[in-house]
Amino acid sequence: MISKNTKKISALVMASLLSVSLAACGSGNSGSNKAADGEGGGSGASGKKVTIELAISKSSQDSAFIQQDLLDEFEAKTNIHVNLQLIPAEQTTTVLQTKLAVEETPDIIQYNLASATTDLNLERNFEILDNEPWASRIVNKDVLSASGHIYSFHVSQDTGMQGVVYNKQMFEDLGLSIPTNFEEFLAVCEKIKAAGITPVFMPYKDNWAANIWPAAAFADFVAKNDPTFFDDLNSNKRKWSDIPEFKTFLEQQYEVYKKGYTNVDVLSDSYDMAVGKFLNKEVAMMFMGDWLIEGVAQQDPSMRLGVFPIPALDNPSLGASPLGGQLFIPKKAPHLAEAKEFLNFMASKEVAQKIVDSKGYVSNLSDVTTPELPEYKQDIVDNYITPKKTVFTTDAYMLVDRTELYRLLQDQFAGGVTPEELLKAWDEKFAQLMKDKGVEGF
Amino acid sequence: MGCENMKTMKNLYSYYLTLPAILIYSIFFVVPAVIGFYYSFTDWRLDRLEIHFVGWENFTRIFSDKTLSLALKNTLIFAVATVVGKNLVGILLAVALNMRLKTKNLLRAIFYSPSILSILVISILFTPMLRTEGTINQMFEAIGLHSLSQAWLTNPSLVIWTIAGVSIWQSAGFQMAIYLAGLQSISPEYYEAAKIDGASSWKSFFKITLPLLLPSININLMLTLIGGLKVFSEVYVMTGGGPGNASQVVGTIVMRAFGEGSWGLGTAVNTLLFVVVTIIAIPLLIFMRRKEVAE
Repeated sequence: MISKNTKKISALVMASLLSVSLAACGSGNSGSNKAADGEGGGSGASGKKVTIELAISKSSQDSAFIQQDLLDEFEAKTNIHVNLQLIPAEQTTTVLQTKLAVEETPDIIQYNLASATTDLNLERNFEILDNEPWASRIVNKDVLSASGHIYSFHVSQDTGMQGVVYNKQMFEDLGLSIPTNFEEFLAVCEKIKAAGITPVFMPYKDNWAANIWPAAAFADFVAKNDPTFFDDLNSNKRKWSDIPEFKTFLEQQYEVYKKGYTNVDVLSDSYDMAVGKFLNKEVAMMFMGDWLIEGVAQQDPSMRLGVFPIPALDNPSLGASPLGGQLFIPKKAPHLAEAKEFLNFMASKEVAQKIVDSKGYVSNLSDVTTPELPEYKQDIVDNYITPKKTVFTTDAYMLVDRTELYRLLQDQFAGGVTPEELLKAWDEKFAQLMKDKGVEGF
Repeated sequence: MGCENMKTMKNLYSYYLTLPAILIYSIFFVVPAVIGFYYSFTDWRLDRLEIHFVGWENFTRIFSDKTLSLALKNTLIFAVATVVGKNLVGILLAVALNMRLKTKNLLRAIFYSPSILSILVISILFTPMLRTEGTINQMFEAIGLHSLSQAWLTNPSLVIWTIAGVSIWQSAGFQMAIYLAGLQSISPEYYEAAKIDGASSWKSFFKITLPLLLPSININLMLTLIGGLKVFSEVYVMTGGGPGNASQVVGTIVMRAFGEGSWGLGTAVNTLLFVVVTIIAIPLLIFMRRKEVAE
């Protein structure tokens, strides 16, 4: 009880100190309090209506799990109302961390498994879901699991791919083929530029976008030449700057910019401009995830985009991002049973089929069939997934917050650091973050 | 207020009447501040259950970490630049708009209006204008001043000054309003007397206007200084601390530390900011008070 009070007070401290999160925490907390006070305890059995809280980032509002018709159906069936707590995108992590720390936990959280491991302390805060009724029907348990246990739920196993998103039509019109090494890539850029189109769009005001190239290139190199590197890295036996090729990959990305193959103002342009740039046919390529293709298709289904691997090495593999958008149940959820019931509902054959169909997912439940995939996704399956030419990006191996790496990558484009200094600086920060986290060896 | 008055007040109203205010102030300010002070000496982190006392470790880290010391430097640059800019522009606007101009009221409204807008909105508006091929550079190019055309938000050595400039643009009108109120409380007789004695208008500005304006200058210096040291929104919206870490300030560093889960460190940076603000503000306040002249 005393520790609970201390934590409550520390919440106040944080709120008053961190002026930004004041509004977010305040409104979030009052929302959950209202729900808890208004609807009373978690006695679903008594037949009284129970309200459960589902916290989700505002940027994930198109999530299949919070479509209103599904929530209505769930409520009609179980008499459990789902109240959504929409958290501003850039504060999602902070708000969730705070909520978990002060035990004002939502009943369900939608988040990314990989980030939950680094940001939200998965093992301490979340329920293990190994014994849920749906667990035995899961096809690919890896995309839901960490340290050998299922911690999350999703109906999809489609991890999403990262590489060079490109306009197929333009490539056909200009008679270009997919480059399989860096020289070929530069030649492709030259031809596109000669046709009066910006070859590559770099929106590096959003610094994370500068990480797509190195994240795939580093991982591809390590997988092919040095498979123990990430284990050594995470036990402090080796450093990022130990691999000279990493420097080369960073230089390559910068070269694309220096040679004039990109938008002029890479540090002022932001990711949200990307869809428009592709729709207006101003640009031909971008280092990005295949989620961008979906975004463009929503605006104009006639646009034919595809994705090919980052051409940093010869015959590169396509980068695969860890699956995102899973549902988690916190250990301290006030309505644990009802939250699990929500997952059961989403996992039921009919509901899961409906979601998989409407979203074009690759199904992760044995009795739910994968619908016909959009062209670009079918291409990915045929050209990369089936011949096993994919590789998990570095994101899958990094246990710490990567914001500082993104900043350094951005700084390279501002002329602040050389690739060598960048890797050195990230080594330092990485070691500090790992030490703070209490990882052995640091 | 004389001593006798105080006594009657004391008899009429008990000191207990201040309790509610003191209570609220303590709960929402004093207690969190003291607890925050404690946490800044701990390794309080997102992924640890126990909190350990670590002495000065967080603070030595602040001063040895390049980014953190850069943020301190940027915060000071921003604070000094905005204090000077906002007050200089504010006082000039106030003096100008205190003259007998026909459009006086209209102009006052126009100059004041940016300070009604949220700094977030203003930052969002300025961001595209300050792009390399944005409105501001286009304007310079159009009138032939190519050398003034800059990478305002992406040049690491310029960016903090640009943000300070936007902040001055926004807030100078508010400072102007306070100075105007101060100017209008100065009795015109002083100026008449000075005129009769043959004082130039410069002389009457420095010998009459400025001294009698000191209370307004005081309040404005305090407001702009504390506001400058606590800067966050402008930087967060316009650059997010970038490019790289070039425009990080204490406010965005605190945000970053909390984002990384280093709550102890984040609290320590905040405690440091609190101490710096106090060390600068309180002596300044006392000094300025002494300088004030009673009319």
